[in-house]
Amino acid sequence: MTTKQQADAAVAPLASLSRRKLLKTALWASAGTALVVAGGFAWLRRSPVDELPAPDGLKQLSASEYHLFRRAIEVLLPTDGTLLTPVAQIPVIANIDHLMGLVEPAIREELGIALGLFDNAAVFSGLHGKRFVDLDDEAALRYFDVWSAGNTLQRTLATVVKKFVYVSYWRDPATWPPIRFDGAVSDRWGIPSLGNSPLPDESVEVTA
Amino acid sequence: MRPINMRREGVNVTQAKDVARDPSLGRQFSIQTDVVIVGSGAGGAVMAYELAKAGRKVLVLESGRYWPSAEFTENLGDTLTKVYRDQAAQANTTTDVLFLEGNCVGGSTVIGACVMQRPGDEVFQKWSDELGLKGLGPRELDKYFEQVEGWLHVHTNEAHEVNTTAHKVIQGCERMGFSWRPVQRNVKNCALTGHCLAGCPSDRKMSALVTHLPWAAAYGARIFSDTEVSRVLMRGGRATGVEAVIRDPDTGTVVSNVRVDAQVVVLAAGAIHTPLILQRSQAPDRGGNIGRNMAVQPFTQVLATFKEDLYGFQGALVGVEVDEFLKSDGFTFYSALAEPEQLMATGEQEAGDEHINFMKSFKRMAGLNAFAIDKGEGQVIWEGDHLNGRKVIKWSPSREDFERITRATSIAARIFFSAGAERVWLPTFQKMHADSVFDLDEKLARVDYGINGIYSYRMNSFTPHGTCRMGLDPYESVVSADGEVHGVSGLYVADASIFPTPVSSTPQWTVQVLSRYVADRILARAPSHFLS
Ligand SMILES: Cc1cc2nc3c(=O)[nH]c(=O)nc-3n(C[C@H](O)[C@H](O)[C@H](O)COP(=O)(O)OP(=O)(O)OC[C@H]3O[C@@H](n4cnc5c(N)ncnc54)[C@H](O)[C@@H]3O)c2cc1C
Repeated sequence: MTTKQQADAAVAPLASLSRRKLLKTALWASAGTALVVAGGFAWLRRSPVDELPAPDGLKQLSASEYHLFRRAIEVLLPTDGTLLTPVAQIPVIANIDHLMGLVEPAIREELGIALGLFDNAAVFSGLHGKRFVDLDDEAALRYFDVWSAGNTLQRTLATVVKKFVYVSYWRDPATWPPIRFDGAVSDRWGIPSLGNSPLPDESVEVTA
Repeated sequence: MRPINMRREGVNVTQAKDVARDPSLGRQFSIQTDVVIVGSGAGGAVMAYELAKAGRKVLVLESGRYWPSAEFTENLGDTLTKVYRDQAAQANTTTDVLFLEGNCVGGSTVIGACVMQRPGDEVFQKWSDELGLKGLGPRELDKYFEQVEGWLHVHTNEAHEVNTTAHKVIQGCERMGFSWRPVQRNVKNCALTGHCLAGCPSDRKMSALVTHLPWAAAYGARIFSDTEVSRVLMRGGRATGVEAVIRDPDTGTVVSNVRVDAQVVVLAAGAIHTPLILQRSQAPDRGGNIGRNMAVQPFTQVLATFKEDLYGFQGALVGVEVDEFLKSDGFTFYSALAEPEQLMATGEQEAGDEHINFMKSFKRMAGLNAFAIDKGEGQVIWEGDHLNGRKVIKWSPSREDFERITRATSIAARIFFSAGAERVWLPTFQKMHADSVFDLDEKLARVDYGINGIYSYRMNSFTPHGTCRMGLDPYESVVSADGEVHGVSGLYVADASIFPTPVSSTPQWTVQVLSRYVADRILARAPSHFLS
């Protein structure tokens, strides 16, 4: 089940930035001088995925956000050939879409800008020359790693994207058996309820 | 003698749906009672029981829902959403520190980790000798501590309650020569599920839900859930009752507005919300202390991966504590490993194959959690009018807190390396782990205090206290030695807010003892408070 708590937790770092009214200006600055100088150009860098439609049924994610998360899921959760539950079997995108709907409207707006920046800043950050959605696996992974160790704003954005992806995957109980987490056990183990504790025996009265 | 009947399971609670169904109540109604208690957690439940048992007509108003234990799912994500305040996203202004708190009948006792710790005598000695709070001396409180201990089955963990995570901690401590001991917990026949933070579906945790609340109800106390108190009503320096709003917990729509007329009002809404209620009520505050002096006991979690499978998430959640540094440095460590979903919130979880490997090693992990003492410099503020304003929580680590947390992290990591850890995951916002003790200091040196320590270490607070501190001087404190708000007769506070100074122990036991103490003070002054 997807929850508002997870949405709030995932965007929590971002919320602080917006509250400090830093986000818009600082986000741009964080991407480096090159981006500031050639900002408009970078933003308009086209990607082949821009032509691809987003699946029906998404309520919150724009097409470009969908493509960003789709790529982030591929990069962050390479479950193929591992013992983990294949990522394709978990409705990660649907969960992210739902979480997005729970984010406060003001933060949702900032989040849209932030995700756009995360995608576009790859053009200059590390001189990839491509948007994040177009990076190959290795470069995309490096992009996450560099941003995870970068300045506060870069760390924040990398954390936000990762949290959305990871929480949307790991909260599904179907992901637990391969890591041997038991989940709920009381029913399975047949543990009886003890009910209310009996009224205390107050024959020994406490006085102040 | 009144006949006392207690339910075997569950508590009689009037919920929003019951109010909505009752045509005699309507959208606006009032209730008369002797005592109204705001909040049904550790402090409120004890107060309700003591006063109801003493024959007072008691009404408890609780903002959260009533969750009978049978509805606990042992799914932390689910519980965080339903049972924790603000879906567990209550945070400071910089949103890097979460303040977790129960918002349900039974309050935080329902989701607590069951650790019961009694502060050292020197704490109470200080409260009694230096602060002049004579009733809070160690000997004076002894009997209360013993009573809670007996009633709530507080016991030292037995061998079967010490899980593999705890054994790794013991092993590390033994090698380092650090003092450790099994924790004391308030559990009866623990089922060893490890799901304490999601509530106990088999009622083994001695939370207020299965102890003081049903006991209070047996003595006639009435409990309303879904009922948020907006402010205390006062006239001529006297508390006369409270105003509250009853909301449908599913939709948030207002079901009724209620006014309670009471001879005594007791606030037990916890260290964050009690001061907010007082601020909304414009209670007198000569020294500007309401909401100030908040100690948060910053909590950080160090994870370690070992060679062998541990399944460290199985068994009793908390096994042992490391008490070596309590006096010298002001922090205690508790062994405990979170659920997979909580790992996502507490650390930087790598990316790609490294993330997969990290999660695959979950069964080989152990966790050690540091609770540090801080100076009590946090603050909660209500901004705006009493109905439409908002709460603001201010706390960031001071440089001293930051240094202390760095030291605690370093010690926790060393304990794990001594126990044979292959890798230790550091609780920083930066991606950071260490593969040997030699690597560790260099890594920790990279953690920068930056601007006010924000986004340095990942910290949470489970145990804020001290926001309405007790003291003799109305310019220095909020409540008197009796727990009564300075300048308002009949308005008492009986929860974690009234701690006179920050403590380093887990607070629940002390909250319950202080509430019992304030209950006795109210009863001792009954002739001046109650008409009958
Ligand atoms: C996850 C977690 C684990 C913990 N583990 C431990 C542990 O192992 N050991 C330990 O000693 N301590 C632990 N604690 C802390 C401990 O539970 C608290 O210190 C203690 O419960 C505080 O008691 P209280 O009465 O002040 O507040 P609470 O027990 O939190 O009760 C306050 C109640 O007031 C209600 N309330 C708030 N505002 C209003 C309003 N306006 N109107 C009506 N009702 C309102 C709240 O919903 C809540 O039910 C833990 C806390 C958490 C959150």
